[in-house]
Amino acid sequence: MAEASKVVPSIWTTGWTDILNTGTWRSAIPVHQKRLAPCHVACPLNSEIPTWIKLAREQSYQEAWLALVADNPFPAITGRICHHPCEGGCNRGEYDGAVAVNALEQYLGDLALREGWSLPQPASELEQRVAVIGGGPAGLSCAYQLRRRGYQVTLLEARSKLGGVLREGIPQYRLPREILEGEIKRLLALGMEVRTNHPIEAKDLDSLEKEFFAVFLAVGAQRAKTLPQFPAVDARITDALHFLAKVSQGTVPSLGRQVVVIGGGSVAMDAAASARRLGSQVKVLALEDRESLPARADELAEALEEGVEVIAGVMVQSVVSSDEGIRLNCIGVSLAGTVPAAGTVPAGVLEPILLPGTEFIVLTGQVILAIGQEAELSGWDSVFTVGQSLVKVEANGATDRPGVFAGGDVTTMERYVSTAMGQGKKAALSMGEFLRGEFPATGGSGAEGPDPGAVVSYQEINTFYFPPTSRENKGNVAVEQRLRDFREIKIGFTSQQALTQAERCFSCGHCMECDNCFYFCPDMAVVKDASLPEHYHILDQYCKGCGSCVEECPRGAVVLKEETR
Amino acid sequence: MGYQIKEEKVFNSGHAACPGCSEALAIRYVVNTLGPDTIGVVPPSCIAIISGPQPLSSMRMPVYQTTLESSAASATGIARALKAKGNDHTKVVVMAGDGGTYDIGFQSLSSAAERNEDFIYVCLDNEGYMNTGAQKSSSTPHLAYTASTPAGKLTPKKNLAEIMVAHRIPYVATATTGYPDDLARKVAKAKEMKGLRFILVLAPCLDGWGLADNAGPKVSRLAVETGVFPLYEVENGERYTLNYGSKGTPVVQYLSLQKRYRHLSQAQVEELQAEANLNWQRLQGKLS
Ligand SMILES: Cc1cc2nc3c(=O)[nH]c(=O)nc-3n(C[C@H](O)[C@H](O)[C@H](O)COP(=O)(O)OP(=O)(O)OC[C@H]3O[C@@H](n4cnc5c(N)ncnc54)[C@H](O)[C@@H]3O)c2cc1C
Ligand SMILES: Cc1ncc(C[n+]2csc(CCOP(=O)(O)OP(=O)(O)O)c2C)c(N)n1
Ligand code: SF4
Ligand code: SF4
Ligand code: SF4
Ligand SMILES: [Mg+2]
Repeated sequence: MAEASKVVPSIWTTGWTDILNTGTWRSAIPVHQKRLAPCHVACPLNSEIPTWIKLAREQSYQEAWLALVADNPFPAITGRICHHPCEGGCNRGEYDGAVAVNALEQYLGDLALREGWSLPQPASELEQRVAVIGGGPAGLSCAYQLRRRGYQVTLLEARSKLGGVLREGIPQYRLPREILEGEIKRLLALGMEVRTNHPIEAKDLDSLEKEFFAVFLAVGAQRAKTLPQFPAVDARITDALHFLAKVSQGTVPSLGRQVVVIGGGSVAMDAAASARRLGSQVKVLALEDRESLPARADELAEALEEGVEVIAGVMVQSVVSSDEGIRLNCIGVSLAGTVPAAGTVPAGVLEPILLPGTEFIVLTGQVILAIGQEAELSGWDSVFTVGQSLVKVEANGATDRPGVFAGGDVTTMERYVSTAMGQGKKAALSMGEFLRGEFPATGGSGAEGPDPGAVVSYQEINTFYFPPTSRENKGNVAVEQRLRDFREIKIGFTSQQALTQAERCFSCGHCMECDNCFYFCPDMAVVKDASLPEHYHILDQYCKGCGSCVEECPRGAVVLKEETR
Repeated sequence: MGYQIKEEKVFNSGHAACPGCSEALAIRYVVNTLGPDTIGVVPPSCIAIISGPQPLSSMRMPVYQTTLESSAASATGIARALKAKGNDHTKVVVMAGDGGTYDIGFQSLSSAAERNEDFIYVCLDNEGYMNTGAQKSSSTPHLAYTASTPAGKLTPKKNLAEIMVAHRIPYVATATTGYPDDLARKVAKAKEMKGLRFILVLAPCLDGWGLADNAGPKVSRLAVETGVFPLYEVENGERYTLNYGSKGTPVVQYLSLQKRYRHLSQAQVEELQAEANLNWQRLQGKLS
C-alpha cells in the first residue's frame, strides 16, 4: 500500500511584510515643515536669514542678496550699524558662538553695490498714490515696500537730502557716505517722487489726504533734550544732534582743546569719538555707573581705545560760563536702588542720590549735550492721539486716524535703525491691506507674534552634525589710523571669511535635503519626493511614529504631530 | 554623511520590529547593501522576528532560520553547497544576536573562523537576550541591569571583536547604527572579500536598555564618542584602522540616557569610566 507522502514545500514564504499596516501602531506622525528660525523672529525686519545664508553658502550671491533685500533694502547700511538682535537670538550662540549674520549682511550689501545690482522693479503698476512723510530709515523702508508692490509713492522730506539720522547723525567712520548714497540711489531708481526741503505740519494733513490714499508719518525724534542747569544760548554749548549734523556736513567750527560730552549713551559715544577725530581732548560725563551705561559695551570700548575719558556716575550740578570757559560743578551720584517717589518724578526718569564730599570741577571750552532726543509733535496731537511724546499706533502701524500710519522714532522709544525700518515695512503691509479694502477694524496684520512652538529651539538642533567651528568678527582699523580722519573703522569680511562663516549657519527649520530623515528610518517610511516643496513624504501605512527622523534632522525641519484615531 | 550609501530594495516595510528599532535599521543597511543575490541565515533572536511572521518575509531574499547554536555551521553548509554547484556569485550572510554569537553559537563560529569559511557573519549586538525578555549574555556590559542581573552584571563585556581578530580572519569590523554610512561602507567592503568576514554591530535595544523610541542613533554615537565602543576595522588579524573613536566625552553622558544604568552609584560610574579609558588606551596601542 502506497504510503501517503508528506509534501514539504521548498519555499515557505508566500509574500512580503509590506502588505502589513504597521502605521496603526502609531500615535504621532512626523511632518516635514518649514519652521521659523529664531534669528528671523528676532530681526525687526523679519529678514529671511536662513534662506539668504544658504544661498550665500552655495555662492549664489546675487540670489542671496535678492532674498535679503526682499525685506531689507539697505543691507550694506544695516550690515554696518544694526544692533543685530538676530545674533542674540541665534541658536548657534548656545553652542560655539552666534553666526556672524550682521557681517554676512554687510558682505552681500557691499558686493551688490560693487556689482551694481538693482532692486527688482514692481511686477505691475497700481494707480493709488501714497505719501511718506520723513525720509529716514522708517520712511524709506515703507516707501520701498509700497513701491515694490506697485503703488505710486511720494516722499516728503523737510531737509535737502534723504537719510534722516543715517545721514545727519551716524558718523561716517561707522557708515561711509558712499554706502548711504549708493543704497538710497538704488532705492530711488524704483521710481518715486521725492520732494525735499518740504517740511510737513499737522495742518497740511487735510490736503495730503485729498491728494493721497494713505499717509505714513516717520518724522523721527529730532529734538534734542536739554538740561536746566545749562544756559540756553551760549555758542560753546551745543547738542549732539546739531554737532553731528554739522560734522556730517563738514561745517563744524573749531571745537578747542577741551570738549565735554554729557550723557552715557550711543549718541554720546558718537559725539565724543567725532570730537576726538577733530583733535580735541574729550571727557564724557555720565550719570550711570560704568557697568550700566546705556551705550553698548563695544561702543564704549572703542571710545576708550580712542582716548575718550569716561567719568561715570556723576552729575553736573551747576554751570558757570565766563570768557575763560565753562566751569562745570560736578558731584558723584548713585542710582542704585533709587525708586522714583510717587507723584513727584515721571516714571522712567532716573533720580540720582548725591554723594556729598565727591564734588569736583571740570573746566572746558565746549560742551555737547547728548542726553536723549524726543519727537517734535506740536500740532499733531490735534489730528491723532499722542501719548508720552509719541504717536500712538496699533501693532500694525495704524494711528487712530483712518488711512494715517506712523512708525520709527516718532512712535517708539526702541530707537534703532532696523526697528524703524521694520516698522516702515509692517506699516506698508498694513497700508496695502487698507488700500485694498481688507483692513481689519483694529489690530490687523502683525498684531500677533509667532506661536512659540513655531520657532526652532536650540534643543531641536542635532549638534552631532555640526562640528564646532569658531565665529569670526569684522576686523578693526588700528587706533592711530582711526583718529586721523572719518574713514571707516571696521573691516568687512573677505570672500573666504564670508564663506566659512556662512557655513556655520544651522539653517534652523529649513530643510537642506541632507536625507538624514530618509536614512534613519528603520521602517523605510520616509520617501524622497522631488515634486513636493518639503522634498519628502511619510508613508502613512508603515510609519510607527518612533520620531527618529525628527531627532536625526540636524535642524528641526521635521516635527512630530500627535494623532488621534 | 561621508560615504554615499547605495541601497537595493531587499528589506521591506511592514516588519515587526519595535518603533525606532536599531536592529531593524542595521538590517536595512546589511541586506540592502548585499542585494537580493544573498542567502541569509538567522538563528532565534529579534532578527528572526523582524525577518517576518511566517509565511511572510521582510527580506526579498532567501532566509534560512536555523538553531541558536548553529548559525555558522549552517552558513558553512550553504556556502560549501553553493561552491559545489559552481555558484560563485551568491553571498551568504549570518545575522545573529549577541546571545547566539558570544554564547550559544560561539563554538560553531570559532571553528568556522578557524577554517576561514566563505561567508559574512554580522552580529547584531544588543547586549542581552532581548527577545526572550532581556536576560544577560556575555556581551552585557559590566554593571548593566538585565532581568537576570537585577543588581547589575558583575563581570565585564566579553571583547568579541578582539577574539575574532585572534582568529586572523580576513576582516573584522565594528560598526553601529548612529553611523549608517560607516556601516554600509563596511558591509560593501566585506561583500567584495572572500573568507570569513565578521562585523560586530552595536544595536541599542530601546526596550532592553531603557531608551526613548527616537534615541537609538544618539546613544549609539555616545557609545563611540565616550570610547565605550570605538569603530574600527582589522584586516588579517593585523592591520588596524580606526574610523571613529573617543572624543573624550564623559561616559556618564552615555550611561545617563539608559534606564539599565540608573541604579549606578557615583563610584560605579567612575569605575566604568576607568574601564572605558583602559579599553580605549589598549585599542590605541594596537593602532600604531
Ligand atoms: C547719533 C545717532 C546715532 C545712532 N546710531 C545708531 C546705530 O548705530 N544703530 C542703530 O540701529 N540706531 C542708531 N541710532 C538710532 C536710529 O538712527 C534711529 O532710531 C532711526 O534713524 C529712526 O529712524 P526714523 O526714520 O524714525 O527717523 P529719522 O532717522 O530721524 O528720520 C526722520 C526724517 O524725517 C524728516 N523730518 C522730520 N520732520 C519732518 C517734517 N515735519 N516733515 C518732513 N520731514 C520731516 C527728517 O529730516 C528725517 O529725514 C542713532 C541715533 C542717533 C541720533
Ligand atoms: C538553545 C536555545 N536556548 C534558548 C533558546 C530560546 N531563545 C530564543 S531567542 C533567545 C535570545 C537570543 O538572544 P540574542 O541572540 O542576543 O538575540 P536578541 O533576541 O537579543 O536579538 C533565546 C534565549 C533557543 N531558541 N535555543
Ligand atoms: S544658526 Fe542660522 S538659522 Fe539658526 S538662528 Fe543662527 S543664523 Fe538663524
Ligand atoms: S523614523 Fe520612520 S517610523 Fe520613525 S517616525 Fe520617522 S517616518 Fe515614522
Ligand atoms: S533630516 Fe535633512 S533632509 Fe530630512 S528634513 Fe531634516 S534637513 Fe531635510
Ligand atoms: Mg541580543
